[in-house]
Amino acid sequence: MFEKDVFPLTARLAGLRLRTSGLVLGVASALPVFLVVLGVKESPGAASKAFLLFFPYLFLLASQDMSASEVRGGGLENVLFLDGRFRSYLWQKNFVLAAAGGAYACAVFLGLAAWGLGRGTFEAASVLQLGLGLLAGTYYVAVAGALGLVFRAGSNVVVLLLAQAAALIGLILSTTFRTGFVDHLAAGRFPDLGSRLLFAGLAAVFPNLIVARRLLRGGPVVLAGLVLALAVQRACLRRLELRR
Amino acid sequence: MLRVDGLRKSYGPVPALRGVGFSLERGRVTALLGENGAGKTTTVRIILGFLAPDAGRVERGTGRVGYVPDQPAFFPWLRGRAILDLTRRSAGAGRAEWEERVRDLSAALRFDAALLDRPPRTYSAGNVKKFAFLQSLALEPDLLVADEPFAALDPPSVKRARDLIIAARDRGAAVLLSSHMLAEMTRTSDDFVVLRRGVVAARSGLAEFLDRVRPASAGDVESAFLGLIQG
Repeated sequence: MFEKDVFPLTARLAGLRLRTSGLVLGVASALPVFLVVLGVKESPGAASKAFLLFFPYLFLLASQDMSASEVRGGGLENVLFLDGRFRSYLWQKNFVLAAAGGAYACAVFLGLAAWGLGRGTFEAASVLQLGLGLLAGTYYVAVAGALGLVFRAGSNVVVLLLAQAAALIGLILSTTFRTGFVDHLAAGRFPDLGSRLLFAGLAAVFPNLIVARRLLRGGPVVLAGLVLALAVQRACLRRLELRR
Repeated sequence: MLRVDGLRKSYGPVPALRGVGFSLERGRVTALLGENGAGKTTTVRIILGFLAPDAGRVERGTGRVGYVPDQPAFFPWLRGRAILDLTRRSAGAGRAEWEERVRDLSAALRFDAALLDRPPRTYSAGNVKKFAFLQSLALEPDLLVADEPFAALDPPSVKRARDLIIAARDRGAAVLLSSHMLAEMTRTSDDFVVLRRGVVAARSGLAEFLDRVRPASAGDVESAFLGLIQG
């Protein structure tokens, strides 16, 4: 079902799509400028922290039109995608987008690391944070892809962002009701099963959290979510038909 | 080149195909006829792998496949030239040879090559159809499938498209044309498969088909054909 010979087509098409997306190009171009300004005004360390926390969103932006628009728009009913090759294309897009986002993130990180090394502020732990950020980004791609089988372009991303907004509102309300979860979150310690489950749920909605050093333990939760999202996508793609 | 056997397909509770079977041979044009909802497009989409049948099978010989949809659609962010380049790479064709084919086909279809620098979504309906022909015929397909091949084309373009289909047939391709336009199909096709409510109602060569639909009485061919497809 997921033919290897479709991969060059997937890579080329996904690359062309990213190069023609004004939003992705704009954000990818603006981010280094923002980081340089932040690094000069504050410190390279502050720029590095901001980058590590927010770069997974780039993966999410790149995943905005994963499936539904292409399926419903008719673009897949083409000689390029005969014999179920459209399924391979949609599946492989996960990995191409994750690789493209990863390459970009690593390039920016290398720049920040060189800057930090020059100033003597580079911390080796940030490499682990980068790795977890890449995991969070890949998770975004997989979840946006799964949602993209249902929602049209952009809507899959909006659904995720709305879930994050709801989670933040929930957190704010939890401080009002003094449930103590925010304290656990700030300390990075979750003493009971309830708070651990709550943290797992929060990490599933807001995977950028795991980049924070106190919350690295959320990594396995995001990894499990990534595997689950890919499994859901794979199952849906196996059944997918083009019925425009 | 292609053998379709016992195809069944339902959309929820609605049966679209109820055991469709026929075969295509190289160097022949086969018309798949039937009224709206007879199951033509479902059959075509199963043959091409866009839909999975509930039962039955499709056996296809090796070789390149061309497909011209009823209403062609392309990724809106891709220019025509990029789509052709992706098609060339997928087929493993050399650039020079490919560009020559594209040039020749553009001339034969009277398709303005300058349009290739724009996305097909900006083309007229007729030019989108011509572009779909261009993409598929440039592959020099061994099997060419076209769903309503002449829809959206003006009369001169219909003739040009017909000539190219016949040229593909003469080159040895098996051609399947799905349509409800009887007159055009009798000019283009060698064999006929008539679908009625998801089953093959008739299957024959051109002469036999014309004999069958030609009324014994004073009626016209069109009316007799309608009688055949409607049962």
